[in-house]
Amino acid sequence: MPYFGSEETVKELKRALSNPNVQADRLRYKSYITKVIRYMTQGLDVSALFMDMVKASATVDIVQKKLVYLYMCTYASDKPDLALLAINTLRKDCADPNPMVRGLALRNMCNFRMPGMTEYIEQPIVAGLRDKASYVRRVAVLGCAKMHSLQPRTEIDGSLVNELYALLRDPDPVVVVNCLRALEDILKDEGGVVINKPIAHHLLNRLKDLDCWAQSEVLTFLLRYRPRNDDELFDILSLLDPFLQSSQSHVAISTLRLFLHLAAAHPAVQADALLCSSAPLLATCGAASRELRFAGLCHIQQVMRSQPALFNTHYKRFFCGYSEPSYIKFRKMEILVALVNDENVALVLEEMKSYCTDVSAELAQAAIAAIGRIGRTYSEKCLDILTGLLALKQDHITSAVIQTFRDLVWFCPQCTAAVCLTVESCVDYPQDSEGKQALLWLLGEHADQISSAPYLLEVYIDGLKTELSAALKMEILTAALKMFLRRPAETQDMLGRLLHYCIEEESDMCVRDRALLYYRLLQRGIEETRKVVTGPKSDPSLSVLTSAQEEPVSQWVSIFNTLGPLSAADLQLHNTALSASEHTDDTADTELLTEHVPVSMRDVSEAGVSLCAGAAVSPEAFEQMWQQLEVLQRQTVCFSGCAADTLQSALQPVHIQTLAFSPARALPWRAYIYSRGSGTLVLAELLQDDPEMLTVTIKQQPEHQQTVTAFISVLQSVLQTLNTGQMSV
Amino acid sequence: MSASAVFVLDLKGKVLICRNYKGDVDMSEIDHFFTLLMQQEEDGLISPVMSHGNVHFLWIKHNNLYLVATTNKNSNASLVYAFLYKLVEVFTEYFKELEEESIQDNFVVVYELLDELMDFGFPQTTDSKILQEYITQQGQKLEVAKTKVPTTVTNAVSWRSEGIRYKKNEVFIDVIESINVLVNANGSVMSSDIVGCIRLKTMLSGMPELRLGLNDRVLFALTGRDKGKTVVMEDVKFHQCVRLSRFESDRTISFIPPDGESELMSYRINTHVKPLIWIESVIEKFSHSRVEIMVKAKGQFKKQSVANNVEIRVPVPSDADSPKFKTSTGHAKYVPEKNLVVWSIKSFPGGKEFLMRAHFGLPSVENDELEGKPPITVKFEIPYFPVSGIQVRYMKIIEKSGYQALPWVRYITQSGDYQLRTNS
Repeated sequence: MPYFGSEETVKELKRALSNPNVQADRLRYKSYITKVIRYMTQGLDVSALFMDMVKASATVDIVQKKLVYLYMCTYASDKPDLALLAINTLRKDCADPNPMVRGLALRNMCNFRMPGMTEYIEQPIVAGLRDKASYVRRVAVLGCAKMHSLQPRTEIDGSLVNELYALLRDPDPVVVVNCLRALEDILKDEGGVVINKPIAHHLLNRLKDLDCWAQSEVLTFLLRYRPRNDDELFDILSLLDPFLQSSQSHVAISTLRLFLHLAAAHPAVQADALLCSSAPLLATCGAASRELRFAGLCHIQQVMRSQPALFNTHYKRFFCGYSEPSYIKFRKMEILVALVNDENVALVLEEMKSYCTDVSAELAQAAIAAIGRIGRTYSEKCLDILTGLLALKQDHITSAVIQTFRDLVWFCPQCTAAVCLTVESCVDYPQDSEGKQALLWLLGEHADQISSAPYLLEVYIDGLKTELSAALKMEILTAALKMFLRRPAETQDMLGRLLHYCIEEESDMCVRDRALLYYRLLQRGIEETRKVVTGPKSDPSLSVLTSAQEEPVSQWVSIFNTLGPLSAADLQLHNTALSASEHTDDTADTELLTEHVPVSMRDVSEAGVSLCAGAAVSPEAFEQMWQQLEVLQRQTVCFSGCAADTLQSALQPVHIQTLAFSPARALPWRAYIYSRGSGTLVLAELLQDDPEMLTVTIKQQPEHQQTVTAFISVLQSVLQTLNTGQMSV
Repeated sequence: MSASAVFVLDLKGKVLICRNYKGDVDMSEIDHFFTLLMQQEEDGLISPVMSHGNVHFLWIKHNNLYLVATTNKNSNASLVYAFLYKLVEVFTEYFKELEEESIQDNFVVVYELLDELMDFGFPQTTDSKILQEYITQQGQKLEVAKTKVPTTVTNAVSWRSEGIRYKKNEVFIDVIESINVLVNANGSVMSSDIVGCIRLKTMLSGMPELRLGLNDRVLFALTGRDKGKTVVMEDVKFHQCVRLSRFESDRTISFIPPDGESELMSYRINTHVKPLIWIESVIEKFSHSRVEIMVKAKGQFKKQSVANNVEIRVPVPSDADSPKFKTSTGHAKYVPEKNLVVWSIKSFPGGKEFLMRAHFGLPSVENDELEGKPPITVKFEIPYFPVSGIQVRYMKIIEKSGYQALPWVRYITQSGDYQLRTNS
């Protein structure tokens, strides 16, 4: 921040620093140096004083030394030529009898981030590694990493690496950890530091001597080690056991991750570890620092993906405090929703209700959405609360409640009557676009149950000219059309006006196209229109999909204890928003269906054992294997047949290769397909001798039941989508 | 872990002091931090992790300062936060109060500390007791002699120096229990628990071995003793000096204590406690004219005990004016900048009941802004009374020179997060 008079200040300082009288008076000299650093801290460019500062480094006062070194590190990269002058002083200090001075000089010398430093620092570093004071060794070890980062592309010095590996046995714990850190940086391209059995056991035995930072990091390094057998595994686990309860949350979480990782093949041990660390995790959620509390909550959410019931009895710990920041409150609400059960539902809902009137609109809306999600299971209680909220006549609350109603009706049809009644008697309607869209959807979809629906809709149609949002206009169109199909007499006139306006005067292309589409549909006749426009009114099966399902630990353990769980913020909130916007459209947009297909197939292949195509199998090899192998499984699937290339292109994305098939329309029709997964090869014959049925015969080498199950489920889902695709065609 | 750089910013986002540890993230990236923060604040969606490009900012706020760590790696978040809080702790121990002024006044020491606390993005020496041995605040004085490495930097017992001497060997044990309560607007207790900690002030010579005995139910069950009152402790956390493995195996708390003041352990007790000070409130708001507040406080603890320095903080609307109070004891004060009435009672004996009435005027033009419903909060401390019933049964002190040492125990119960929601 160069400000007026800065040049004067620098000049004045320069004059003072070079004044022999000042230099003679140590206290005055030092106060000027302090002044230089103060200006530097404030952002003033004082690099012009470099020479004078280098001179000041020759002192016995260690604080003055530190300040001068700091100065030199800051400006070294701007003035490399001058910095070289300082090197001699620094190298001399590296040989000082006082280990504090040696360490200080070495650390700062390594901090000069400028090219060509390597040749000067290499020798002091090597000497430092063998220093008798551990303070200097700590600095020297990290110095190796700094040296490497100065010239990342140079060849790695093998002897230095060996020396670092040897220093893993150093008596000083910080030296040990610094070695790991340095090796990790230096050997980054080769996959980082190697943790073999002796090193792993050594580190495990030293673990309790380390400070909490080091423990956390060593535990992370140990993720790389794979024990040879179960005996060794359990020895390691029992060594780690006390650290699960560490007072430092980051150590406890690191230990948990290592535990889960090591015990990947022992789900019972994993479950025990999760149970054991539930207490420290909960304790983190009550931590004094809110960031740690937040991190704790995020990790609890991860754990709950596998063990949704683990924190059931502790639900009160997730009640929000008044002064907590909203990012914590959002997380707590998500957790509370997941913890609801028959016993606590009344209390949780009462608590949630108090959040609905929070000053923060975002928070209030999230709370209302959360009540909606609880409502999928406990609809009656939640509807009472939501209806009560409408009486408050606050715009943001009304909007959120109406949106929640829409979702509720979609997920649990049994609420429909109650919701319609409430909407009917509602006096205050949402003002924002999302709320209006939700209301319109309800009006259109359930026009027969809301007697005043046409009058409400008319208000929106009359106000269309001043409406800006295209999405809202589309929603008005859809709602008007649906209502017309159910209550033609009352709606005909306004639908006519609406279509006329949208086709003749609307400037937004999407809205106009939609209006034209509806217009042409209506020309084809009412029955035709009804077939296209009206879809299912609800889909209760979706709520099963969106509610929490137990996932295996392996799904989340890889991102556990990183930034991942924290930045996956608002995941669930987004999901509900997404599903909400999706289902409003999908009755009209049947063409979207085809786009959905690849997504769902990918999900299937990822969920279980993943399949891969691997190398192609020649027809001869296939035939030979087919004849040798026993039939493993035979199954019939509904399938009405399709073109061979459609089948082939549908199977390819899920890694199933097609080898050969009989010409189309031939009966019996055959196809041979294969895939690989978990190191086995799956062969299958698809035989169709009945126009509606397909027999799948599966052979495998070597046998592996899980892969076969995965294969069949993938195949089935592909055939199913082909079936539905054909029907819609 | 690896933080690339650490910054201390003031409330306007100006960098007060910073340290570039790794040099792999451009220092000017910090300019994006404040813009991002402002943006998130506007959207009402603040998050303690923010990203710009591939740089992540992990930040905390302390008084009028932001402490920010930047990193371009997928670091362990809780570790970075713990480190930032460690910085706060160390600075606070040095400067008493960590705020903008103390950073500016002590920038030399701050630089020195930042240099020792972390190197190349990795935490090094973070124990403030040890740091205080070789970084002193009397930086302005010339010291030539005191520059040797303290033994503790490399000691096996990293938290205690050798060769400590006291004329009189004593150890003071403070058992402090905070009670957290959340009461709903209709008077039902939503949650309550006790968080306790045991603090030591150790004035012992040499390298003493200490053993602390508590009336821990698990220990009593282990040893087959079942007389007397016991407590069930959860989430027990210890100072690093306590041998965790021994506690794991036989619940013995044995340790070599750090010199001077330290927190030995903390615990949580999840039993349902009756709120020690019960508040009933009626807040009536007559729009455009006045607010009338009636608060009744009742001490629900033993008659022999006395709660000291009780403060009952009652929220009032921000546009309230002309306060009038009437109290049966203590005195009430209006704190307009916090929109509170603070009713303070110097001493509040158990079983007693007191009353306060307050009257405020409201302007005839109503405030449009929606206001939250802050809860009533209560502060108090009750000496000589451990609410959970925890007891220090013994403290054994063994040192190889064989001196006699005296342990002193003191109990205190105080309010923690003590909130009673109102329905106004």
